[in-house]
Parts: sequence; C-alpha cells; structure tokens
Amino acid sequence: MRMWVYIVRRALLMIPVVVGVMTITFVLTNALGETQRIETFIGPSRQGYAPTIKCDPADNSPHPAQCTNPAYTRAIKALGLDKPAPYQWGVYIYNSLTLNWGNTSKSSDASQLYGITTSTSVITVLSWYLPYTLELAAISLLIILALAIPIGNYSAVYRNRPFDQAARVISFSGYAFPTFLLALLILLAATQASGGFVATCNGGSDAFNSWFGSWPSYNCLPSGSYPGWMGSQNHFHTTPTGFPTVDAMLNGNSYLAWESFKRMILPALVIAFSAIAGILRFVRNSMLEVMNLDFIRTARSKGVPEKVVVRRHAGRNSLNVTVTVLGLTFASFIGGFPIIEDVFGLTGVGNLLVQSVKQPLDYGLVFGTTLLFTIIVVVANIIVDVLYAYLDPRVRLG
Amino acid sequence: MKRTFYFLRRNTLAIVGLAILLFLVGIAVGSFFYNAPSDQLATYCGTDTGNGVGLVNGTNAAGCNAVVCTYPYDQPAPQPNCFPVDPNQVSVLPPTASLAHGLGPFPFGSLTTTADTNEFFNLFAAMVKGAPWSLGISAIVVLSGSMIGLFLGATAGYLGGYADESIMRLTDVFLAIPGLLLLIVILSTAGSLFPGFYGHLEILLIAFIVTDWPIYTRIVRSQVLVTREQKFVEASRASGAGTFRILRRHIIPNSLYPMFVQMSLDIGTIPLGLATLVFLGFSIFPHVNFPEWGSITAQSVTILSSTLQYCQENSACLFPWWQFFIPGTALFLFAISVSFFSDGLRDALDPRLRR
Repeated sequence: MRMWVYIVRRALLMIPVVVGVMTITFVLTNALGETQRIETFIGPSRQGYAPTIKCDPADNSPHPAQCTNPAYTRAIKALGLDKPAPYQWGVYIYNSLTLNWGNTSKSSDASQLYGITTSTSVITVLSWYLPYTLELAAISLLIILALAIPIGNYSAVYRNRPFDQAARVISFSGYAFPTFLLALLILLAATQASGGFVATCNGGSDAFNSWFGSWPSYNCLPSGSYPGWMGSQNHFHTTPTGFPTVDAMLNGNSYLAWESFKRMILPALVIAFSAIAGILRFVRNSMLEVMNLDFIRTARSKGVPEKVVVRRHAGRNSLNVTVTVLGLTFASFIGGFPIIEDVFGLTGVGNLLVQSVKQPLDYGLVFGTTLLFTIIVVVANIIVDVLYAYLDPRVRLG
Repeated sequence: MKRTFYFLRRNTLAIVGLAILLFLVGIAVGSFFYNAPSDQLATYCGTDTGNGVGLVNGTNAAGCNAVVCTYPYDQPAPQPNCFPVDPNQVSVLPPTASLAHGLGPFPFGSLTTTADTNEFFNLFAAMVKGAPWSLGISAIVVLSGSMIGLFLGATAGYLGGYADESIMRLTDVFLAIPGLLLLIVILSTAGSLFPGFYGHLEILLIAFIVTDWPIYTRIVRSQVLVTREQKFVEASRASGAGTFRILRRHIIPNSLYPMFVQMSLDIGTIPLGLATLVFLGFSIFPHVNFPEWGSITAQSVTILSSTLQYCQENSACLFPWWQFFIPGTALFLFAISVSFFSDGLRDALDPRLRR
C-alpha cells in the first residue's frame, strides 16, 4: 500500500470516532434544561426563550395577554426539539461537523475572565486559545522524548541496578504526585527563589508575575502597553499565526518572545514529570525485549563495542515502540493540561475549560473544549500511526 | 502462582509498595475501630466572627469537644490560647495550637479548614476517617469498571464479527476522550440536574466508572484473542463445551492477569482524580461526614498562595505546610505504592522480561 493511501484510510477511520464523541456530548446536552440548551446552541435572544411572552410589551396589567414567543418557536425548530431524538441527533451532528459548536454565555466566569463581552461563537473563542496549548504540548513532548528515550535505554542496559531503580522511583513519583499540588509548589518555589511576592511591577519585574500568566502584565512591559499584534488585553490572541513565541519572533519583539517562552518552561517541565512514567516504562521494556533478540547477540559476538550495540542496534529498534506508546498515552498526557494551565494562569484551551466549569457554568465552552481536546487526541493518534508506518514498513503492507 | 510470588519477592520496590499498601489498608480497617474526637470531624467549631472577640458558634456547641478562639489580627488577644486571624484570609492555626488543645502530637493534630465553609478539620482524625473513603471509592470504581470491561471484552473477543466491531468502536470513542475531561463534562452536566453534590456519591461513582471501563475492555479483548486460538480451547470445544462454559472456564481465567496489572495501576489514580475535581471547584468533598484524602489536599491548596503572600507581609505568621503535606503524602503514598506493586506484578507475570 502506498503511503498516501494509508494516510487517507487512517484519516477516514477518524470520522466515526469523532461522531461517537459528539454523540456522547449530545446525550449529555439532554440533561440541560430547554432554555439553557437553546441559549447554548442558538445564542441569547432579546426577548428571551420563554414559550410565551406578553403580546404587548407595554402592557403592565397583572395578567397580560400571552402570545407565543417567536424566538422560542424558531429555536425549537432550528434544534429540532419538537422532533424525535434521532432527528435532534442528526441536527446536532450536522451542526458539530460544520463547526457550529454553539455560543459562549456572556455571564459566565470564563467570559468575564477573558473579556468576552458579547455571546461569541465557541469556535472563534477556541481558535484564540488553541495555538497556545499546541505550543505548550510541543515543548513538553520534546522534553518527555529527550528524557524518556535515553533514560529508558540506560535503565534497560543497567537493569535492576541503582540507576534503573532510581529512574523508576522518580518517574513513578511524578505519576503519583497530585499535579495541581506539584504545579502550585513549583510556582511558589520559583516565586520565592526570585524575590517573593512583595515587589510590584514598575518597570522592573515582579517575581510572581514573571512565572505566572502567559504574558507579562502590561505595567511590567518596557513600553507600558501591549503591541497591536497581541489582540485584546484579556485574551491575547496574537497575529498572524496565533502561536505566541512564533508571533513575537515574526513581529520582531524578542523580549516578548523570550518572556512567553520562559513562562512555558515550568509548566512544560511539570507536565513532562507527571506524564513520563508510562512512556519510560514502555521504552525500558521494549528495549529489554530488543536486547534479548538474536541480532544483538550477533552484533556483540562479532565484536561491536557495547556502546554502539546499545545506541545503534537496540536503540533504533526500540524506537517504534516508543512511537506507539506516545499514541497510547497521548490522551492522558493532554488530559493534564487543564490543571497545569489553570495553576500557571496560561491562556490555553485547558484553562478555558477550567474557567467554564466554575459557577455559573458555560456549557458551550465545556462541550467545545471537550470536543476540541478529543479531536487533538484523535489527530495525534493518526500522526503517530503514520509515523509508525513510516518507521516500520510492515505495518503498511498489512 | 508460586512462581509469581517468587519473582515478586525478588523485586524490592514491589515489596516496598506492597508493605505501604498493606499499611494503608490497615489504617482503613482500623478506622472503623477509631473513635474520632466527635462523630463529626469538625471538632473545632471555630470561625472568625470578624467583630472583636470571637468565641464562635457560641461556647461549646453540641458536637464540639473544643472551641477555638479567634480574634482579628490587628486587635489585642482577648485571652490566652486565642489565635489571630485576618478576616480576609482563611484562618490558619499554627500546629502548636493543636498541642494546646490536646489533639495529639505535632503535626497531626493541626487543623485544616475548608475555604468555603470555614469548618475546621482535625487533620489526624480526618486522615484516619478518610482512609476507608479514599480506598473504598477507588476499589468500587476499579472493581466495577473492570467487571464491565471483562464482560464486554470477553464478549467482543470471543464472538468476533459485529459484536466485536460495535463494542470496540464504542471503546475507541471513550478512549479518545481524555479521562479527566470526560469526568468534568459528565459531572458538569449532571450538576445541572443536581445542584450541589453533597451526598450524591452515586453520580461521582458513575462518572468514574464510565471513564474507567474502556481500557479494561481493550486489554481483555486483546488477551482473549490470543487465548481463543490456543489448543486447549480448541480441545474443549471439540469435546462439546458450550460458549459460556469455555468463556468461564478457559478464556476469562487466562485473561485476568493483565487486567490485574491495569487495575492496580488505576486504583491509585482515582483519589488523585477526585482531588483534581475538587480543586477545579466541584463541591463533592470534603464534607464533615466524608473526609476524603484527595479532596482535603485540594481544599488545603486553594488558600496556599494567598497564605504565602500574607506570611511574607506579616512577620508573625507560620506557613501552614502541614495542611497540604499530610493529606498530600497520604495520596502520594497510596498512588506510588500501588504503582510499584503493579510494576513488579507486570515484571513477574511477563515471561519475556523475567530474565
């Protein structure tokens, strides 16, 4: 099978999974009240969504004449709420696949935090924050790979020796430690180490501020205000690409580029520390398996130095297992983002989710972020599969 | 079985993990014989009234075996054994306070508060009484999740065809959603039906079970696919055994071990997940009647940064490290002991890695 045929086939297989996830969110939307559901998916209306309203708005009598609410009728028709559930499901899936994911509620915590003053389409809001999360994911993934592959290989070589045991204990600690506690302690430790809470930003940099948030607050900037390419002050969606560091570089602002990168280092390290255990274990075990194979014995017996055997012969062959495991653990890896982004105050999709589940809830954002995270996981799995097929041609033939 | 234990015994980490785990289970069992200072864990009925002297909730209200006296930090102390409180900060009592009130050795007797209710927890009592809640919830979730997974996985793997396809596609869908997000989305929509989660433990359990079953289905199915083709199953079928008998006697027993490994790996993450949910603001725990380790950790963490800032600005302040350290350690010990144990179990059960 050609490579592109494989890719297309693999991409087509993603559609049922995505539709399935949308079905789950559809089932959950049924738990919402009717008005809430309409407001989430149609948006607010000036006269509200009560089934009946006063015929004459100026009528102030105790029992005014009631007429049907046209906004309500329109919304019921648009969502198919008067039709049976399969029809509603169809409407929901059609809307979701055409990127019509509902609207934010302007009174929710998330909207107020991010300065979304009018009810906005969820997709628009998500598009502001997605690049930040992707950049953070890329950095933490790089850290994980840079640590897990060499450490896993050496753990396998020095099996059950102190190095292996220490690596195991440390990686399991990351797995067993409550992430929010670890993140908070590291944030506070970094703050203490660089001067504490006391100083405020007045030209200089406040220590807490230099680790918290995705950008320095505006009175810490040398210029005293945000540049034009950074969008609104509450939700820093940057132009042209949306990726914070990249955009700062493209706009020639090296100070902001370094600041935004620096603020990702600690969160990325925490994510890596909490996610490395699973990958490390798989790398170690696959390396152990490879080390027992015949061709390693042959390489050794023909006098290849041990270092070369480990690095070239065994290391490369255990690599495709590593790739597979990345796909398997990606969901739990990305599932840690909401907490980290919340604790470090980063403007990513995860933080958006955390803010949107605070009372009063913003259901449009809750469902939207969940769908988005799922799509990230599914796409990542496709990339991993393609990478695996590239590394191991036998997969494509099957 | 014997060989498994032999290989397990050679693995120091696994034995350490098992020892810690047994210790925690011992605490959980022992907690039923431990009389907490009162039947409720909020033994200190103390909150700051904000105006002058604060002997709170009246004096010696019912159910309190000690009353904490607090007063605004910028006023003189009304009497000994009273503790200064900033009305804008959640009250933090120094650990020596616990000694003064005869609540056991430092630092266990110290107190923690929940930020929203201002109830004080006796930390030692909460840790002991919380053990069966933490361990029990984890055990229930993992057991029911794995039972569902075992049933569905065995059916899918053994029957094949449409049953296999439909079950596995469903599993794929659930596995594609990150676990924490599925929990959040279920609980937030369920929250619209049940305002406030106090007492609604079943919703929590259902949400966790819904997140937990797919991984077992996948594991069991792959194991069943391997077992199904082996000679002894074929022999059993040839001698006239029915589907159900083959599943029960041959297929399921042979696919249990990988499931055990996954179970022991999962069981430690459930209190962590609970802690995360409470940290995000789902007010499920801790209730005075359900002191749960993870949620006590989460509650104690919510005031951490403001307390640190407060402590830096006010010299006479003790940073309440014990508040997060003790419940955090309990959580950490539970999670790490089961993961050590499961890692040892995996090594012992996998013949390829034994040598």
